[in-house]
Amino acid sequence: MKKMTLFGVLCLSLLISFGAQALPVGERLRALPVQADGRIKPFDTFAKEMLEIVYGKKTFEKREAYEIILTWMLSPQAWQNKELFEVKNHDLLTALKLDEKRRYFRGDEIFSNDRFTMLRQELQEKRESKEKLTPYYQALQRLENQFFVFTEMATGRLMRVLPASEGANWLSVAQLEGESQKKFMDITTDFIAVISAKATAKPDSETSELSKHLDQSVIDFEAFAKAVNPASYANEDKINAEMHYNLFHPFRWASIFYILTAVVLLFLWITGRQNGMLLAWILVGIGFAIHTYGFGLRVYLTERPPVSNMYETVVWVVFGSLIFSVILEAIYKFKFILLAGSIVASIGMIVADVAPAILDPSLQPLEPVLRSNYWLVVHVMTITISYSAFFLAFTLGDIGLFYYLRGEEQHKEKIKPIVLSIYRAIQIGVVFLGPGIILGGIWADYSWGRFWGWDPKETWALIVLLGYIAVLHGRLTGWVRDFGMVVSGVLTFSLVIMAWYGVNFVLGAGLHSYGFGAGGVEYVGAFVLAHILAIIYVTVIRSSRQKNA
Amino acid sequence: MSFRSIIKSLASIKLAVVVIASIATLTAIGTFVEAKYDAKMAETFVYRSVWMFAVMIIFAINLIAVMVDRWPWQKHHASFVMAHIGILLILLGALVTMSTGLDGSMRVGIGEENRYITLPGTQIIIYSSFDGSKFTKIFESDVNFLKNPPTAEKPFTAPGEPTPFVFSDYKPYVLPQRKVIEDANPLLGAALRFQIRNDRVNVVEWLVQRNPQQVDTHDFGPAQIHLGPAPQVGRGANEIYITPQSDKKTLKYKVFTSKSLDVSKEGSIEEGGAFQPGWMGLELKVLRFHPSAREDWDIKEKETPTPLTVEAIQVEFQGRKQWMLLNDTLKFFTDKAVFFVTYANQRYDIGFPIRLKDFSVDRYQGTTRASAYKSQVEIPGVGEHEISMNEPLKHEGLTIYQSSFQESPTGQPTASIFSINKDPGRWIKYLGSLVMSIGVILLFYFKKRKSAKAGVRP
Repeated sequence: MKKMTLFGVLCLSLLISFGAQALPVGERLRALPVQADGRIKPFDTFAKEMLEIVYGKKTFEKREAYEIILTWMLSPQAWQNKELFEVKNHDLLTALKLDEKRRYFRGDEIFSNDRFTMLRQELQEKRESKEKLTPYYQALQRLENQFFVFTEMATGRLMRVLPASEGANWLSVAQLEGESQKKFMDITTDFIAVISAKATAKPDSETSELSKHLDQSVIDFEAFAKAVNPASYANEDKINAEMHYNLFHPFRWASIFYILTAVVLLFLWITGRQNGMLLAWILVGIGFAIHTYGFGLRVYLTERPPVSNMYETVVWVVFGSLIFSVILEAIYKFKFILLAGSIVASIGMIVADVAPAILDPSLQPLEPVLRSNYWLVVHVMTITISYSAFFLAFTLGDIGLFYYLRGEEQHKEKIKPIVLSIYRAIQIGVVFLGPGIILGGIWADYSWGRFWGWDPKETWALIVLLGYIAVLHGRLTGWVRDFGMVVSGVLTFSLVIMAWYGVNFVLGAGLHSYGFGAGGVEYVGAFVLAHILAIIYVTVIRSSRQKNA
Repeated sequence: MSFRSIIKSLASIKLAVVVIASIATLTAIGTFVEAKYDAKMAETFVYRSVWMFAVMIIFAINLIAVMVDRWPWQKHHASFVMAHIGILLILLGALVTMSTGLDGSMRVGIGEENRYITLPGTQIIIYSSFDGSKFTKIFESDVNFLKNPPTAEKPFTAPGEPTPFVFSDYKPYVLPQRKVIEDANPLLGAALRFQIRNDRVNVVEWLVQRNPQQVDTHDFGPAQIHLGPAPQVGRGANEIYITPQSDKKTLKYKVFTSKSLDVSKEGSIEEGGAFQPGWMGLELKVLRFHPSAREDWDIKEKETPTPLTVEAIQVEFQGRKQWMLLNDTLKFFTDKAVFFVTYANQRYDIGFPIRLKDFSVDRYQGTTRASAYKSQVEIPGVGEHEISMNEPLKHEGLTIYQSSFQESPTGQPTASIFSINKDPGRWIKYLGSLVMSIGVILLFYFKKRKSAKAGVRP
């Protein structure tokens, strides 16, 4: 009953926050529609993306991105002595003769430097040779892009705010004239008034009056812009939904509830207490509801299933792990299955949240071949959901390793169910992965006329399948016993990491290149290596114990 | 050993695990080879290697032996038998596709038609002619130089007169640079190096005629420069014709404009000279002129491929060694005859022409990124039909897919690329997939029943 009430309250509060105008007075500007990267988005999203390119973060000295970006345009010279440009690559810093210990630099330090012009030429030559860019050149390319974004923003050419009366391309701030220019000027004048009022600590009433005026100017401009070409202007509901998505951070909230679930379960599992499971179920239920809600928002905003890049698959895979753990937990009531599921969910959601440069959370349009295709959705979702089951088996394997380290004799009753759960999770994974690969073949055949083309992404999915099938058959031969099952759960997941992350970030070849990115190899490598070392350590300890016994 | 015991050992699950692990390892190596080199390298040396075939054969034997070993089958064997038969069918389907299937690509320019698809395999063809106008094919052979590269010790030879053509070196990845060599042979055409410039444009290029009658063209969008015989009237485009004269020194030029069909300007020029065609403030300068010349390649070998590298082979004829690139044709002259030597992708006549009536690209708003594209084609017996991404056309056993397109430097689409294939193994693979999937599902069904009977929790 308590559960039901909580759910009710949650759903209601979500509805309310969604329906109402969540933006505080004076921040209406954040929802101003802007055309960029092939879609219309709120200025807030655009500003965050631009600031992220230049500065590597979504806020600058605790100030919101939209404020920062707008001041680039209003007074670029004020930014000359600010350390705004992030440069991380050491080789690049050396080439620019800049201090390697610093990470942020002033524009004049980099761009008035003769060496920057020289390096740009070098980059151009490298591009013409069409060779793969090394991390140094990638960093240089980013620097060029940082320069481009800042200068284009400063000149007003980057920010497209007004639909053209004909054609799909909107007009940028620099192209505005007459009435539209005047109306946009109203926004900027009001904006300057508001920030200077805030900076000089004017009385609240005055600031709020100015803020209201700013909001009104934004509304006026939007009304004007919409009148120019109503068909090509933004859908207000979508802009509001995206603002809500930006402000609410559904996935962050979900991860918080998952962490709480994990903590509660860990406590119950260690202390062996019988009651308290209800609390865990409620927490995981809330997390899950918010997670689902976040998915819903993303699907609504992008008009496609959320499985088209690394970020989205991470969020989707941990979603699947959680579902499988809930089902298995409901059947077996072992407690640690849900524990493993909530650990997977917490880790996955945190990784997705903290690594935006590697796992790009922005909403991007799709490549032509991926558009409007039923099979695409089915095959990607089926294959990635199998990774969910293997991820669960992996975490269960970690828990198993822990008990083997503690001593297998004393913990027999704990190890047996763990092994069974790993076995079940692997079976679930195989049942999804096998057909998933076949569905991928059907899609490839349908789209390209090639059922199987040895594309690295599909090949690695096959390798994962073969790996787990070898484990299941090894169990039949007696090669893989209980300890073997625990080790396999952990070790075989390395294949999944390779198929899921490695193909895009390590191999970087093949037809699936639309999901490609760079970075994080050292962290993922360390993660895999740490687990392999842990396995070796436990194996050695275990065999020495067996010898002594 | 009895038949039964041989079957038993071939049917061993341990063998199965080893085979499964071997397939996984081999294919993993393949993906690394592909990442470092390219798909062709991985296919040649891993996916279609002897090793892969050997492992697959053992795999198939293992799968069959297991089923024979379990004979006579019981009801509960249905799942495992189906899963295994499914896998065998998929393997069989793959074999059928590989041996009888067809998978190539076709480029069709807008408003043009084509009936040949380009296949991944390569071949060498030699034509000869005694009068320089009528050619006969004297040699044709499929070659796989990546797998069996010719060397100085073990060259690939093809018949020629008076000496054979000897292919003695092969490099999979080279960066070619064109060079033009003066050669007094009267059957050769002329070569011209020109510069065309104004404040915004600066192009320096070679034009080389194959023979004195042929016209070689450089197209830079708004205008074309031709080397060769000039027509009497233009075709309503900005064009310059430069025609070598018999004194082997002078060049005559004719300028046409988009406004009229008549010659707008003409004159003569020599090496080092320049003139203004009269459009866009351009000036054309003759940098070099060879009245008779041939082309050759300077090649720079690379260890790994880039989008700019190509395959190159070296051919030797009458003591002269020359590099040629894939899809390149070389000319050789003897006192009596002319030979054309081609190293090119295999072509296949699909039996009907595909005419590209129209091609259109949709872009994401405010960007140049394509969101969708489609080709309006016309095929005899089908009429007009639209082919777009994920919407292929099936005709006479072939399936025609929209694959990609080519653009002019200004972003206008110029040609559509189709991927065209025939896959007789398709239905076998689909059947195998179905049988295997049912088997896997049944596997769980039987497990459940078995454990339910035994009265234990699964």
